[in-house]
Amino acid sequence: MTVRARVLARAAAAAIAAAAMVLPGLFATAQQIDMNVVDQPGYQPTPGEEQLTGAYERQEVFFRTSEPPGTIIIDTNQRFLYLVQPNNRALRYGIGVGRQGFQWSGLERIARKQEWPDWRPPPEMIERQPYLPRFMAGGPGNPLGARAMYLGKTVYRIHGTNQPQTIGHAVSSGCFRLVNEDVTDLYDRVPVGTKVIIKQAVAL
Amino acid sequence: MGIALRGWAFALGAVGTASLAGCQTESAPPPVAAIPSVTSDQIIGKWGLASYHRDSDRDRTIKEARAQCNKPYVIGKGPSGGVMMYLADQPQLSELVLKAGPDGKTYLGPPGDAGTADDRQVLDVDPASFTTIWVDPDNAARYGTMVYERCGKRA
Repeated sequence: MTVRARVLARAAAAAIAAAAMVLPGLFATAQQIDMNVVDQPGYQPTPGEEQLTGAYERQEVFFRTSEPPGTIIIDTNQRFLYLVQPNNRALRYGIGVGRQGFQWSGLERIARKQEWPDWRPPPEMIERQPYLPRFMAGGPGNPLGARAMYLGKTVYRIHGTNQPQTIGHAVSSGCFRLVNEDVTDLYDRVPVGTKVIIKQAVAL
Repeated sequence: MGIALRGWAFALGAVGTASLAGCQTESAPPPVAAIPSVTSDQIIGKWGLASYHRDSDRDRTIKEARAQCNKPYVIGKGPSGGVMMYLADQPQLSELVLKAGPDGKTYLGPPGDAGTADDRQVLDVDPASFTTIWVDPDNAARYGTMVYERCGKRA
């Protein structure tokens, strides 16, 4: 294990402990935290790492819904984002979702779009990792990736990531992350005002 | 007898040493650590810290750094005259020193040689700001160019 890997592992443990202490009043489920990972600001994944395979690879699928084409439907439990297409079809993207205690459901609209968004680590992250810059200008290696779409007046976004290995996992603070190629594809397809439905099945 | 031989040996040794010393060319003086152009006192204080990867983002990153003084990066004086700062990925403070490199650049890092992997290069120092970039290419790629803007009253 490299020094950096050890540091990240320690930081991940601290992050999970902190998350357990500060569960917000969102719609928490019994879903397990299935990946111990912290942000890796500045990390630039290789093209190979960014290439998703299998179910999480972007693909057109059969999808029955009463929502009109152009609507985004996020299935938190399945880790998929659907962009509804005509004729019972949808484009399906693999996503990373909020970790336990940071998942939510609701109806929002895309309020703003941003290419290469800037990143500001939250205060609790600065507390854990005081060596971080308090602001990182957007660009390759930025944890928010290549594009961001802001959801209504919430603090949540659909955004890219520099950690493609987190797709399919519950890792975020409530945002939805796609690999940069996918978030760029989605960004180019949807305008401001797009309806976004965030679904989350209640675990029994 | 033994003592006498040891005395001769000592005498021969002394003569030999003197002869060698007389033949030696002038040796290079021991290296003297160059004095860095930046002092610890110049960087002690509270700073707004921000970073960028593309030069085109520098100006707005400086503005953002000035806006980060509600979460300042505090640089204190170290017990040995250095400064207390964080190394990359280490949440514990370390005492770092300013070092002049043989390349004429100023570095900030653990005591020892200048320009090693744990060092930052220090650039563009003035009373209100300074800039650093990690020597280690991995750290430099991840954290980018870091801008420190002094918090509080500006000169």
